[in-house]
Formats: sequence, C-alpha cells, structure tokens
Amino acid sequence: MMLSTDNMHNPHPHYHQIFAGCLELELDDPNATERWAAELLRECATAISENDSGKLHHLLWMLNELASPYGDCEQKVASYFLQALFCKATELGEHCYKTSLAVAERCHSFESTRKVILKFQEASPWTTFGHVASNGAILEAFEGEAKLHIIDISNTYCTQWPTLLEALATRNDDTPHLRLTVVATVGMGGSVMDEIGMRMEKFARLMGVPFQFHVIRNLTRLDELKYEEFGLREGEAVAVNCVGALRRVSVEERDAFVGMLSRLRPRVVTVVEEEADFTSCKGEFVSCFEECLRFYTMYFEMLEESFAPTSNERLALERECSKSIVSVLACDGHDSGDCERREKGRQWCERLMESFSPSTFSDDVVDDLNALLRRYRAGWSLVPAEGDASGLYLTWKQEPAVWACAWKP
Amino acid sequence: MLSLRREKLATCLKEIRRKGRMSGEAISKAFGSMQPCLDSNPPAAKKKRNLPGTPDPEAEVIALSPKTLLATNRFVCEICGKGFQRDQNLQLHRRGHNLPWKLRQRSSKEPRKRVYVCPEPTCIHHNPARALGDLTGIKKHFCRKHGEKKWKCDKCSKRYAVQSDWKAHSKTCGTREYRCDCGTLFSRRDSFITHRAFCDALAQETARVTAAFNNVESNMLQQFPMSHIKPSVVHGEADQEVKQRLALWMGHGSRTNDPLDNNTVFGDMHQVGPVSAAATLYGDLLNSSSNLHQLDQSQLSWVYSEKLPSSSNMGAITSASLPATSTVTEAETSQPLLGSLPALFSSQQRHLIAVSDTSATALLQKAAQIGVTSSIPFTGSFESPKGQNANVRDRFDGLFSSRSQPSNLENIVPNFAVSNTFDVYAARHGSPRRDDIGGETRDFLGVGVHTLSQPSINGWI
Repeated sequence: MMLSTDNMHNPHPHYHQIFAGCLELELDDPNATERWAAELLRECATAISENDSGKLHHLLWMLNELASPYGDCEQKVASYFLQALFCKATELGEHCYKTSLAVAERCHSFESTRKVILKFQEASPWTTFGHVASNGAILEAFEGEAKLHIIDISNTYCTQWPTLLEALATRNDDTPHLRLTVVATVGMGGSVMDEIGMRMEKFARLMGVPFQFHVIRNLTRLDELKYEEFGLREGEAVAVNCVGALRRVSVEERDAFVGMLSRLRPRVVTVVEEEADFTSCKGEFVSCFEECLRFYTMYFEMLEESFAPTSNERLALERECSKSIVSVLACDGHDSGDCERREKGRQWCERLMESFSPSTFSDDVVDDLNALLRRYRAGWSLVPAEGDASGLYLTWKQEPAVWACAWKP
Repeated sequence: MLSLRREKLATCLKEIRRKGRMSGEAISKAFGSMQPCLDSNPPAAKKKRNLPGTPDPEAEVIALSPKTLLATNRFVCEICGKGFQRDQNLQLHRRGHNLPWKLRQRSSKEPRKRVYVCPEPTCIHHNPARALGDLTGIKKHFCRKHGEKKWKCDKCSKRYAVQSDWKAHSKTCGTREYRCDCGTLFSRRDSFITHRAFCDALAQETARVTAAFNNVESNMLQQFPMSHIKPSVVHGEADQEVKQRLALWMGHGSRTNDPLDNNTVFGDMHQVGPVSAAATLYGDLLNSSSNLHQLDQSQLSWVYSEKLPSSSNMGAITSASLPATSTVTEAETSQPLLGSLPALFSSQQRHLIAVSDTSATALLQKAAQIGVTSSIPFTGSFESPKGQNANVRDRFDGLFSSRSQPSNLENIVPNFAVSNTFDVYAARHGSPRRDDIGGETRDFLGVGVHTLSQPSINGWI
C-alpha cells in the first residue's frame, strides 16, 4: 500500500499515530488481515458517531484504496459500505438513494431482471426456499376452492408463480380459476411488470389454468396500499403473499399494514423475510452498522460461493445491495421509495400475532423443502423456529438467513 | 420337436438371406401347422383389444366394492385356502396339489368377458358404459384417482397412490433432462418450469405437439394424470390445451441448439463502465452537495481522482483520470465533468476491445451486421441531444439511459413468440438473423448490452 506524504493536503496532527495504528492492525495480526474490511469499516463507523473528522478522513482514504466492487469478498464489502459511510458522513444519503432508485427504474429491463433472478434461483435457494414454502401453504389453504385470488407483494418478479400454476393444473381434474394481483412499487420498472404479466398470462394458457393478471402500481410507498385497490370479489378465496415485502413498509406503519391485510380476510398469509434486524437499532448508528455488516457479509459470501467467479448476475445482485445499505445507514426514512429496515422472524411474529395465528407447514411442504435444498450446493439447511417464533429458517453455514412462515386468520 | 423347429427356422433364414425376404406362402409352407415366426397376418386367435373405457357390450359387468377391489388376495385356493393376487398365480399353485384330471380342468364354460366399474360414484368409470376391462387396470385407476397417495419419491417428493407408478418414477427421477424450446437443458423440473414461463420461446405449437404426443412413452403419461382428455377449458380449445401442456414435458428434441452459456460473452464487458463512471459520479456527488460538513471538498477530490490511476482492477483506464482540481473549483457548473467524459469513453472503447477479444469483437461484428449505428451503448447515448442547460442529474440519466422504449419490448416479444426458429441466444453465437426483425432485434441486442453495463451505476449512485 502506497503511502506518500506529498499527497497530504492537510495533514492531521495525529495523522501518523492513527495511520500507524491502522497499519498495525493490518500487518501484525494475521487474523485481522483476513477480515480487514470489517475492522476498518468499524473504525470508520465509530469515527462518524464520535464526529472525529480527521480519523474519519484517513479511514475513508484507506478504504478507498483497498476497496473494490470487483475484488474478493472483503474488498466488495468494503466498497459498498464505504459508499454508505461516505453518504452518512456527508449527509448525501437521501440524494444517493433517490438517484439509485431513478436509475434502477430506467435501466432495469425485463431481460436483465429475468436473467439475474433466474440465475440466482439456480445458484442459491435464497429465494426459492420462500417460494416453495409459500406455494405449499397456499395450495393447502386453497384446497377445494374454485375461485382463487392471490395478492402478491414481493420482490421476486413473479418467479414464484409458474410452479404454482403447474401444480394447480396437474393437481386434480377441476382446475380452479386464479386471479393474481401484483403490487409494484417504485423501482420495479413499469415496463418490466407489463412484460411479466404477458408472460404469466401466456404460461397460464399453456398450463390450461383460467387466469387473470393485474398490477397495482403508482405507489410511492407500500403503506399507501388501500383495501379498495385489490378489487376483491364475492366467493373468491384470498391468499396474501409477502416476500421481502413487510420490511418495505415504514417502521411506524407496519402494525397498521398488518391490520389492513387482515381486513382482506385471507385464507392464508405467507411471509418470507431475510433474517436481520435493522429496526430496533434505528437510533443507534454503530449497532445498526454492526448488524448491517454482519448480514451483508454473510450475503456476499453466500453469493461468492454460489456463483461462478466471473458472474455478471452476481455482480448485479451485489449492486442491488448498495441501495439497501445506503438506505439503512445513511437515510432517516424517505418521502419516496421503500424502507429497507429488516426485522427478524421473532419480531415479525409479534406484529402478525395481533391479527393472525401461525400455521405450521405440513410435512409435505417440509419434505419438498428438504428435496429443494438437496438440489443445491452444501451449506444450506432447514431449521424450525423455536420459542415464541414460528415458521422455518433457511440457514447458511448454520446462520439463519431467510425466515418463512404461514399465517391464518 | 425343438430341433425340428430350429431346422425350419434355419431354412427360413437361408431363404431370406438369398432373396432378401420371404413370401407369406413360403413361410406357411415351411412351418406348416406350426406357428409362423414371420407372419404378416395376425393369427385369428389373437385377442381383440377394445379402446379403454369402451367395453364389449356382451361382457359381464362386475361392480366390486372398494374393499374387495383393493383386497390383495382375491383368488383363493379351495384346497389350502392360500390367497393370490392374480388368477394365473392361483392356477400355477393349484398344479402343485396334484389334483385328479377332472378337478384340474377349469370350469367348462368359457369364462365370459368381464368388465369392471369404478366404485367411486362421481367417477366417469362408475357408469357401466365406460367400464374398464382389466381388473388390474381398474384397481390402479381407483388408487390413482380416488386413493390416498402413500408412495413418495424422496428426490422430488412427488406422490403416488400406486406402488408400481412410484417405482417407475424413482428409476427415472433426477435422470431426466428437460429441454426448453430455446435449447437450454435442465436437470431440475422446477427450474425448467420457471424458465419456460419466462422464456422467449414460449409459443403455441400445435403441429409439433401432435407429433410429440404420438411418440410419448407410457410412463410419462403415468406421471401426468391426463390419460383422458380434460373437458373443455377456458377458450374451448380443450385438445390444444392438453397437447400444449404435454408439450412442456416432451422436449421436442428437434431443436439441437447448444445449451445457453451467456456469461462468457459479456463476461468482461461489465468491467469497462463502472470505474470511470463511478469516479465521475462521485465527482458529481461532491459538486452537487452543498453541505459537506466533515470532509473538506479539496481534501476529498484528490482522494477520488487518485483512485483512478491506481486502480488495480482495470489497469487500462489510465488515461481516463478526472482532473482533480477542476472538479473542485468549478463546483456549480457541470461543464468540466462532461468535458472529461469523451476521454473516458474513448478509453472505454479501447479497453473494451483489449480486454475481451472474441466476445467484444464478436459483438461489434454482430452489431455491424444488423446495422446498429453505435455498437457501444455509452457512445450512442452520449450523442443523445440533451440541452446544455439541463442539470447534471439529467445529463447522467440521459447518458446511461436505455435506448429502447418500453413499447419496443412489447413489439419484440410477439415476434419471438411467433417465430419458433428465432433464437435470441443464437445471435450471440453467430447465427444469421432474419431481415424482417432487423430493426427491433437491434434494440433487443442494444437492450441486452445496455443493461449489463448500466446497472453498474447502482454501485456508485
């Protein structure tokens, strides 16, 4: 690492001490070199919370030197967190987030989205776990019904539904009629949803399932969703599917949102969320940062091990994270765009218990999930929730990663 | 007896080798009363098979209760009381009792043809007019349709009511490969289904489906409970729907395209855009923000411009350095940022060609083929007419915006749906394109190329 004092425009009086300290951190302790990003980022976060601008400046400089979105896991984590910390320090979080939203809206095409998500689903059960669990619960709840209405609030672009359509078609002789209402928020690209709708309709025709597709859009935030928008009809059985959805509701509105869902009188509500807590630490920057670092380090490592080294799709997924990280660390809530503050399964359970009661996944569904995990690389397993939490966890190297749970009225 | 038969066989074969064939008379002459081995006419004694569900009107209709039907040992030996599943097995067993000749014979009257009805009242086969002629058949039918699925595949957890179905499935589960119309192979059914739903090759194929339908293996039919055509579905195209559904699982096999491998083509492309774009955008952040509390602008500017030359990843983008001082001093105007961009883009182009010879060059060639005005998305967008007075953000959005409009995408898809032979991915592997889709294809390729480079913005904005 190059150190040139000539380039220092304004050497902090304690510069050498701090820098030497950082250097020692890296060179002397072999364990620390493994996780140098975490150490440096942590120091940086502490400097921000302590308002130590000199130290912060130098740490940012160091991170900038070492970080890269194309390097190894440590370099990547350093890169994306550096961006967020920089935004926090310069109070550019909102601006940065808004810009990335606008760009996402513009640049994400149907083809790119499809490619990334399908590749992700082949490489890792991160999303398919939730899909299989939810579809199983939905099919069981809909047993015997002729008119089905699924309200889908998710971030997986309808990749959950082809297998459900196939199951509906091959299950029994009388194929029920299915209405699918998808809720799209800003950043999900209007044209993308249109294209997806067309494909779903075509596929349903191919499967021989009577099908109707509808998108609720023009929502700047999920909390704006109102009961009337769903267009519920007499005699239809409703299921609500929330995959990575509840966390997008602003923290203060979450209980009200759950209440709104219960007014829909669904047969089942399926919830899938990533296991991390960015909510309870909302006021405390450093603890929020630690949790964020823990979760995204695991996520990046998982991505690295699941994909080929030069995968474009993995790169796209990593870039998706930058928006969330900036939102959690450098923003205080937005006027537009979704909140990204995840909560853990146990916390969601508390909220959902107000209006619903947990429904355990049947043995069939558990078998299906085990069969699913067997199709992927080693490292994944299924762990049932214990104590006051319900549902199932997908764990990556023994660490809970994704939580799935079904709820009845 | 045996040697005689062998002799006759040998004579037949000699004859065939000489003449290439044997006439029917020659055959019957050679074998006389013995059963001919190469007979073109079916022997008169051969059982005539009725179509399933259309029984012989003369037959005796048997209605067994579910209990009797499912009872495993219906045939009981009158001598020792041992039960057997099949009549043949019982007869075989009876031989062992050394019965006197009289009792050995079966009942003198020819057993009347028996047909069986399904005990389930709601089932179509409950009606005697649609009875099934085979006892084993009706047992299996009853289990499959109305029975509990007790057998489960442990690989894919598919369930079966009939043990033989389950066994048959287990043999092939996981070994089967599913082929989509676009040429991709899948070993997993669920990923195949999901891919198929979103695949560009999704289309209504009737002709191909009919042919495939005729070639289907029996165990495939077992897996999908569609042994009889379903009553009319939504659009009244019952047969078409069913056949199309089968189409999914047939893998027509007439497509012999290579399996997809898109990664390598664009593998290196993504490296080009981001770093320089990132630096520019970082510069943008610096300039457009008016409150930099803890960090002095001047201090930061060198931090980020230093980044470029020392970038360990790109290596080649050395000429694209942001002039450090200019971004700082001309804080409010966006001119210097734009000014530095052409330099960035030209270096990108150079880098693009240098980094990945085959893929990028191939892409450029293809672009030339289809007559794209600019093969590099950035340059194309860069030329888009945005007013000089537009604010910085608009400029950047304009620079990196997708060239295709949403409506184009919708126009493209129906073309793909209709033209089964058009293979999007084949384009990337160099097969010629059809002229009539020229314009739209260009956009499609443009979009494809775009989106790989552009999401890089997310990394830094």
